[in-house]
Amino acid sequence: MKKETKWLGVILISTLILLFGSMFLFTRSNSSKAVAGATVSQIDYSKGQKIGSDSAKVKVVEFSDFQCQACLVAKPFIKKLRIIYPDQVQFIYRYLPTPGHLYGRQTAYLAEAAGEQGKFWEMHDKLFETQTQWTALAEADAADFFLGLARELDLDENKVKQALEEDIFKSKIDDDIAEADRIEIDSVPTFFVNGRKLNLKSFDDLNTAVVEELKKNE
Amino acid sequence: MISSSLSNRLIFVLSLFGLFVSSFLFYEYNLQGSVICPIGTGCDAVRISSYSGFLGISIPFLGILFYFAMAILSVIHVQKTFSNLLLQLKLVISLCGVGFGVYLTFLEIFVIKAICFWCVLSFILSCIILLLVILDRRNLY
Repeated sequence: MKKETKWLGVILISTLILLFGSMFLFTRSNSSKAVAGATVSQIDYSKGQKIGSDSAKVKVVEFSDFQCQACLVAKPFIKKLRIIYPDQVQFIYRYLPTPGHLYGRQTAYLAEAAGEQGKFWEMHDKLFETQTQWTALAEADAADFFLGLARELDLDENKVKQALEEDIFKSKIDDDIAEADRIEIDSVPTFFVNGRKLNLKSFDDLNTAVVEELKKNE
Repeated sequence: MISSSLSNRLIFVLSLFGLFVSSFLFYEYNLQGSVICPIGTGCDAVRISSYSGFLGISIPFLGILFYFAMAILSVIHVQKTFSNLLLQLKLVISLCGVGFGVYLTFLEIFVIKAICFWCVLSFILSCIILLLVILDRRNLY
């Protein structure tokens, strides 16, 4: 056997031991199979944009940011939940704009402005559907784009413009951020099912968590 | 023209690097919370999508198998016995790796609409490995 074969073999085996050894050690300290955590966080259900009845057995709260790509991926899964459990589940949207996202706050203001005119969910859908378009825009162009979305939804343009320029919803968004801070969330999307934070490996787990909660409440 | 032994060593080093990348991603996929993504938040979007597995196997695990196969073939290839067969095997496996990378990149751009830094890095590594295998094959003729 050549010397080089031996050397490469030793390097390969050492690498494998190093990789799998460290993975094993780190994973042992982090492993948890439950979708929903054990602790129930005290969430203020009077806040946020809601869809579904207040008397629903299961309340799903999402802390989200319109500029977050993972939140965009989550959207169809949430829609599926809303279709499967129209009466049993209430879905609540809360804002947690990521500091690094240029339009995280502005889009939250826009959605709130739409909400004030009864079209939050329409704007929510529009913002996610067009996310790839407006994230690439410069600030001036983005403002025009957002006003364009408001026009498409027949919103009062002046009110929307005011919301975008005068930060009139700032305190509402800050309240959501403060609540996220209080319940120790720092990433989006983060989901809670009846106050229990979900540890999602796939958005399909959302459905699992809802089913588990519905069974408990039967 | 690159010599056969240099090409083999480079493939070995790149495969080890690929093993680190896919093992890291495999580890991250099995943790709660966000994936560490040096650029953007696309890694989370890709992980959490329904394309993060193939036939029930997590994609990073497939990456580990791919780079491990390439590394072990490179170790055996030093011996120069069955050189032709080993080169064919390397070509087939690296073609599969790149083909799969093309499929995943297509999904990321057009379906998931998010780019995962680690997946792109792995795709680039697999392309360089394929290029080295092709160059090595040319030494045969």
